Amino acid sequence: MAVRAQFENSNDIGVFAKLTNSYCLVAIGGSENFYSVFESELQDVVPIIHTSIGGTRIIGRLTAGNRHGLLVPNTTTDQELQHLRNALPDSVALQRVEERLSALGNVIACNDYVALIHPDLDRETEEIIADTLKVEVFRHAIADQLLVGTYCALSNNGGLVHPKTSVQDQDELSSLLQIPLIAGSVNRGAGHVGSGLVVNDWAAFAGLDTTSTELSVIENIFKLQDAQPQYIVNEMRDAIIDSVV
Amino acid sequence: MSSYYNFKKIQVIPGSEDLLNIILSKIQRKTPTVIHPGYKISRIREFYMRKIKFAQDCFDEKLDHITGEFPKLDEIHPFYADLMNVLYDRDHYKLALGQISKAKHLIDSVAKDYTRLVKFGDSLYRCKQLKVAALGRMATIIKRQKDSLTYLEQVRQHLARLPSIDPNTRTLLVCGYPNVGKSSFMNKLTRADVDVQPYAFTTKSLFVGHMDYKYLRWQLIDTPGILDHPLEDRNTIEMQSVTALAHLRACVLFFIDLSEECGFSIDAQLNLYNTIKPLFAGKPTVMVVNKIDKKRMEDLDAPTRERIEAMLARDGVTLAQQSCYTDEGVIAVRDTACDLLIAARADMKLRSHRVQDVLNKLHVAQPQARDDVARPAFVPEAALERQRAAKEMVRDPDTGELVPLKRSMTLARDVEAEHGGAGVYNVNLKDRYLLANDDWKQDIIPELMDGKNIADFIDPDIAERLAALEEEEERLIAEGFYDDNTPDLTPAELETRARAKIIRDKKALARAAHSSLATMPRMELHGRLDPRPERITRRLNTLPILARRLAAKGKDLPATAQLMRSVSQGGWRAAAEDPAYARKPSEVMKMRRLEGDQKNRQLMGLAPGKAQYNQAIKEVRFTQRGPNLMAKRGESDRHIMTKMPKHLFSGKRTIGKTDRR
Repeated sequence: MAVRAQFENSNDIGVFAKLTNSYCLVAIGGSENFYSVFESELQDVVPIIHTSIGGTRIIGRLTAGNRHGLLVPNTTTDQELQHLRNALPDSVALQRVEERLSALGNVIACNDYVALIHPDLDRETEEIIADTLKVEVFRHAIADQLLVGTYCALSNNGGLVHPKTSVQDQDELSSLLQIPLIAGSVNRGAGHVGSGLVVNDWAAFAGLDTTSTELSVIENIFKLQDAQPQYIVNEMRDAIIDSVV
Repeated sequence: MSSYYNFKKIQVIPGSEDLLNIILSKIQRKTPTVIHPGYKISRIREFYMRKIKFAQDCFDEKLDHITGEFPKLDEIHPFYADLMNVLYDRDHYKLALGQISKAKHLIDSVAKDYTRLVKFGDSLYRCKQLKVAALGRMATIIKRQKDSLTYLEQVRQHLARLPSIDPNTRTLLVCGYPNVGKSSFMNKLTRADVDVQPYAFTTKSLFVGHMDYKYLRWQLIDTPGILDHPLEDRNTIEMQSVTALAHLRACVLFFIDLSEECGFSIDAQLNLYNTIKPLFAGKPTVMVVNKIDKKRMEDLDAPTRERIEAMLARDGVTLAQQSCYTDEGVIAVRDTACDLLIAARADMKLRSHRVQDVLNKLHVAQPQARDDVARPAFVPEAALERQRAAKEMVRDPDTGELVPLKRSMTLARDVEAEHGGAGVYNVNLKDRYLLANDDWKQDIIPELMDGKNIADFIDPDIAERLAALEEEEERLIAEGFYDDNTPDLTPAELETRARAKIIRDKKALARAAHSSLATMPRMELHGRLDPRPERITRRLNTLPILARRLAAKGKDLPATAQLMRSVSQGGWRAAAEDPAYARKPSEVMKMRRLEGDQKNRQLMGLAPGKAQYNQAIKEVRFTQRGPNLMAKRGESDRHIMTKMPKHLFSGKRTIGKTDRR
């Protein structure tokens, strides 16, 4: 089920939240409205954790993680680390990474099996990613953008990439990630998909500005509620053409 | 796009009288008002020229604003251009705007003429008369525009009430004879709430409504009914429909009423269809048979039905049947029309070159298997359970219908509202900890304990790991891993190094010795009363040292140095006693007095010696004793005689007259 949400008047909810198959991190905001959007979908399924990273609220961009683990940047304080350790299930490994590119959410895009990373990441970081998140790691760019985490949203079911990704790149990435991919936008045409959308294998949350066409593309590519990606090509083709051309 | 055709932003056009009042009062407010006949004539002329020019600027601005704000018929979408032609008469509209623009030019030329004339005005009176004449003529020009301004104001009011139709978006256009149920259809699909009455021409203008279908926004336009007569005979109401049909790239829904309840026969309705058919060219068209609760297509007699079917087949028009009364087929009609239109639009857009940019959005890249590893999705059982629960339906006790079962959940938002709302409630982050024992949740864990950061011991086996590391370190040291194994030096190299060390040490000693010498305080150089300490005089007396050095070399001190020596050793007197530099005694005395006077200003003007000075001091003290005892004001205290001198604060103040007058 894809839901629209907004964090304190910002549509870039991927900046303020991190969603995986085994936990959900939410920034500490002025009110509980944003948290409750996640709660209404995920309560009693996965732990939803209020947290800050290095005292900031941009936790979605600073952390990277999947079902197996969570990577936090070196700016994370000991208290935050302790809080996360206490709140996360024991099956989730927590690891602080000493990496120059400390916005891990921007430089790492991953699902439970594969991760795409920024080509400039350290070799040690790459090893930590492979060990902690239990993924295959590939250094790759999306639509000539090195910030792979910003320009795509992945789950084990499918992935949405930057709207300017060429068909050839899509095929290449899809074979790498072993999931169906489509180029698309969120928040009424925004290309930074990673910051406008958080998704796992059964739920998706997009910015409040996301149009219904964009939302149904999201539902179909991520196979939410038994939807199928082919629906986009078959049924929605005319609607997409009419709304984007 | 829709905001581009929003005519609601045009400002109110004032009537000619109002316009005059606005501008004249603006001139009064924003230009200088005081002038005297005694001023220089150039200043008087400038004063009145300014008034005239300002009036011209004001009129220009207002009139420009009016002409600029109204849509230009040649620039806007042809649909709006034609609609405005129908509603306001193109010629009249253009003429009115033309008149306004003409008035602006007339005012410009009046202003130009009169500023020229004011240049020759030889008195305040004449200049003023010229100004009055100029403003008067401008006023006359504006007054003549009374009708144009009134007309434009009416047009503005009507334009602001036009529905904001976007000519480029997905549009369904409903048309047909009056009273066939067009507005009812509109009300069924949108929330436009168009007036529906059982008589012809209830709808007198275009109405717009919006609906959602297939993730997109659709625009539905309800048009007034059209009668079947030649174009020239059509009235304004009908012409609006025709304009919309002619210019909007929409799906046309042609409504017919087979029951003939609308008061027009089937034949008449089909004739109308044939008459306005050219307007449908190239647009997806649906013939909608309305009121099927009364009469369906199947109920018609065979010849009529065949005639209609032949017509539809000929023009490639789709047939759809519906009844707004029973709601039968309404949604089917909408779907048919929308699908036809979106297919047509997509087809058209696919032919444009821009479609290359969106092909990737229509391409679902499917992975090619690169290994045999299965990568299944991971959905927890709880999530699946929730999805099943969301689909659960229950029977509503009131209506008996199946409705989704609603479960009440307490969300953090509700808790927050209970505890005083956002900003007051502070969420406890520890409540949701997953710990082995729930009692541990609220435990306060210190940051530091026994001088150690607790976070460093987050790994349970950290102590063992540290011990292992240290053990390895010891082993490495024992194995000589860190030993210095640089090659031995030759004796020659060793000697060079030893010498270099001696040189370095000597240098360091010299530097230390120099820096430990006492530096000369500045005041010591400029004389002091008490005898200088010996250590300082030794360093100061450089001349004897110099002399001694020169003597050792068999040379004498230079003459200037000798003079310096004499001065430094004996002062002025010694210099004066020197026969080579003898001065007259009077000169020396003068210099002394000057020197003394400059030093002590209290002695100035007093006789030499202390006697008179002491007397003066004594008398001063005596006179001050009284006031000082009473803490009274003395003559040396700061005192302002008059706070506000009358002559500085009365009368007119214009330029630079506050300090003296």
